Amino acid sequence: MNDMSRIVVSDLALIIPELILISAALALILLTPRIRRGPAAAVGTVFAALAAVLASFWILPSETQTGFAGMIIQDGYSRFFKVLIAAALALTALLSINSSEGAENEAPNGEYHALLLLASTGMMLAVSTVDLLTLYLGLELMTVCSYILVGIHVQRRTSNEAAVKYFLVASFASALLLYGISLTYGFAGGTGFVIVASALSEYGSDRNPLLLATLLLVLGGLAFKIAAVPFHSWAPDAYQGASAPVAAFLAAGSKAAGLGALGRITLVAYGPTVEVLSVLLAGLAALSIVVGSITLLAQTDMKRLLAYSSIAHAGFAVLGLIAGTPEGTSTTMTYAFFYVFMTLGAFGVVVALGERGATLDGYRGLAAQRPLAAALMLLFLLSLTGFPPTAGFVAKFVVILSAVQAGYTVLAVLAVAFSVVSAFVYMRVVVYMFMREPQEPAPSRWPATVSVALAVTALVTLIGGIVPASLMSWTVSP
Amino acid sequence: MTVYPVLTVATFLPLVGAVFVLLFGCERRARWIALATAFMTLAASAPLYLNFNKASSALQFVETREWIPSWNISYGMGVDGISVLFIFLASILIVLCIGASWIAVRTREREFYAALLVAETAMIGLFAASNLFLFFIFWELIVVPLFLIIGGWGGERRVYASVKFLIFTLAGSVLMLVGMMVLYSLCGTLDFKALALARETLSSHHQAWLFAAFLGAFAVKVPMFPLHTWLPDAHTEAPTAGSVILAGILLKMGAYGFLRVSLPIFPQGVQFFLEPMLAISAVAIVYGAYVTLVQKDIKRLIAYSSVSHMGFVTLGIFTLDQRGVEGGILQMLNHGIVTSALFLCIGMIYERTHTREIKDYGGVGKLARIYATFLALFCLAAAGFPGLNSFVGEFLIVGSAFKVQTWLGAMAIWGVALGTVYLAWLYYRVVMGATHSGLEKLALELNAREVATLLPLAILAVSLGVYPEFVLSYLRVPVADILAGVVR
Repeated sequence: MNDMSRIVVSDLALIIPELILISAALALILLTPRIRRGPAAAVGTVFAALAAVLASFWILPSETQTGFAGMIIQDGYSRFFKVLIAAALALTALLSINSSEGAENEAPNGEYHALLLLASTGMMLAVSTVDLLTLYLGLELMTVCSYILVGIHVQRRTSNEAAVKYFLVASFASALLLYGISLTYGFAGGTGFVIVASALSEYGSDRNPLLLATLLLVLGGLAFKIAAVPFHSWAPDAYQGASAPVAAFLAAGSKAAGLGALGRITLVAYGPTVEVLSVLLAGLAALSIVVGSITLLAQTDMKRLLAYSSIAHAGFAVLGLIAGTPEGTSTTMTYAFFYVFMTLGAFGVVVALGERGATLDGYRGLAAQRPLAAALMLLFLLSLTGFPPTAGFVAKFVVILSAVQAGYTVLAVLAVAFSVVSAFVYMRVVVYMFMREPQEPAPSRWPATVSVALAVTALVTLIGGIVPASLMSWTVSP
Repeated sequence: MTVYPVLTVATFLPLVGAVFVLLFGCERRARWIALATAFMTLAASAPLYLNFNKASSALQFVETREWIPSWNISYGMGVDGISVLFIFLASILIVLCIGASWIAVRTREREFYAALLVAETAMIGLFAASNLFLFFIFWELIVVPLFLIIGGWGGERRVYASVKFLIFTLAGSVLMLVGMMVLYSLCGTLDFKALALARETLSSHHQAWLFAAFLGAFAVKVPMFPLHTWLPDAHTEAPTAGSVILAGILLKMGAYGFLRVSLPIFPQGVQFFLEPMLAISAVAIVYGAYVTLVQKDIKRLIAYSSVSHMGFVTLGIFTLDQRGVEGGILQMLNHGIVTSALFLCIGMIYERTHTREIKDYGGVGKLARIYATFLALFCLAAAGFPGLNSFVGEFLIVGSAFKVQTWLGAMAIWGVALGTVYLAWLYYRVVMGATHSGLEKLALELNAREVATLLPLAILAVSLGVYPEFVLSYLRVPVADILAGVVR
């Protein structure tokens, strides 16, 4: 407890981005009655997110520093993910303005954005902690806010159903994670990453059933957050029931946060058990890629399609962690970064098209009616498939290369083989857009804010693919 | 030597043109912008042919820029005698494709011409790339515009054909992707020349596996028997320009891959797979020819003839004999010229008759003399008639095949004979005989634009037949260089 009393003001400097988001959230809650309509709440959220990005760059100390009794760390890794999460938040807020569902099923504007901000705060805490309990708190803050975001359209049955399903499965997963943490505490005598790591290296990583159970529980809990198989079943239902911007936020933000947390604990806390961990992660990746790609084949609802796509992508992102090296983890960071932008872009087109964007049939003949939307969707789908010269190719290239270098060549072959399967699905959307005749009237114009989000995501997807080296200096693993 | 980076300009000028087409190509302006871009690209690549030093085995017009320094991957361009020929073929075929689409494509022209120009960037870039990473990027890049061209502007079963094409080529190229990664983690570089030097460090076990991985990609593109089934569908359903790019360039990419990657970098892998490669080449020649014989659709007939003709190419390459490989490359060029010309001819008459069934034709010669003359020339050229271009290539390949194993030569001769049969029979059924009743009312004769589209290929077919040394002189040094590492 002595340590705790020594929390000083200078420690607050380490969580300035979080503080900005929390203050914005509180302000929005106070102002709720005044900002029921109109874009004020969204604009406020965008500015808060941008302020968080700027603060991450300029106010956070540039050297590695810990605070709050060694629970919060500020390093290049947490900075990277904070920027990424804030970017996802800003883009989601842009997509939320006047989203087509808005008119009939008005979501409470202030609360909605406050929840987005709080969820992002939780994500940021999860990626900048070196303590298992703080990690748990951060992830729970994110997840609890997400339940409400999914169910925020109280009038809509699908939204309620999705929220309940999500809540039940997620509570189970949280219990797994917490149980894993308590087992870890049992043999390490502490929850700090460094303590866990030193206890584990003393313990040795020989076949210890307790250790294996611990790893399974912790990995399971985190796999749930990134929607990796076999902890993926919530994602399609939650995405489908939620509004498109919320689904985008879950796909991009919570995946980035989950990967950030997973990357740090596999490398730092559970690093000494790398032999066991690699096998478990390889299994997780293989299952996610195979199951995600195959179930993708049957989807005709766009949000469900992107949900299964996000499951397969979670598998690809985990490929980078298998090696258990800083280089491998930085490939996963690259993957997370590009994935966030391309998936937000794809969801952005879904949002932009309104009613027509929801189902595959709505994309019939889009190229003839809205060539720009079709071209953007083509870009994002090519990137999700992993075609060069898009960011998706670079992302896939680095993580698969990392798996090959770790000696998992068969897994690499499996991964690329199933990326052909998923290519079939993405290209089916392209077939609908470019090779079929339109049957419905052209979609109405979308708001300018959506255009901004689409422009940003498209630029990152394209430039990231052409000059990937510009990102490399940022992907500093812990 | 030149004031601007020739290869980069020639590669990316079409991409710039594509952007211009998308931005300003409203109404009927797209085709003009596209044509201007294609001509500018041809002009910009002129220094490649004028200042090329045929005696040097080093890459020429080399450009290197740092790209991804942390992976030791650079942006590298450079050409040798082999690639320069295909850059020429690609840039000239695009001009002809635009000519052939001038009237035929009337829907969503902007997207069509933009896709065509992106395809040109991919084609030229592929042959200009001096490292495997860049090569792979262009290799994949070409798939997208062709997928859209086939599926967006093709015939009745276009969607099926385009998806089949996409899935086949992707399935092949992902194996190459893993092969590339393994190669990179073993050698630490992806530069072609550096890899060729590092091959000593690769064990024969690795070389065999890597050859197999790259074979997956190359064999689909060539296409080698039995991976050819996407080809008849894609060629038949594609619009004329799509068929020309497929036949003229895309099929060459696979064979070029063998020359650029497999032979120089995995010589022991080549040795390991030599017998099966020769055997399936010979099978492709004869099997392809027999299947061609029974086709009822003109376009499908020419498509299947490509399987047989590309069999000659791979046979030539895997004889690992100076003359055989030279013949194989010459045959790649010949096939690109002649088959493209045949697809253009078919496209032109299809625009008038709207049928591809051979039985709907007959007596076209009486109605369209110029057309019949061109078709005769290209059919003879494809059949390997002496004095026209394919004869030289086939002659060199067959000669080398006899040196390797007599039965290979015999199969090749058999294929040549069948080729004469199906082409002569096609010509007989379409051009000669009684005029088919439906055709008389149509104006079948070619107009000036179409003559101008066919003429360059006719000139090439004749001049390469009369003076093949023009091409062979480019090939001598690089082929000797490639074969120096491959011991027979």
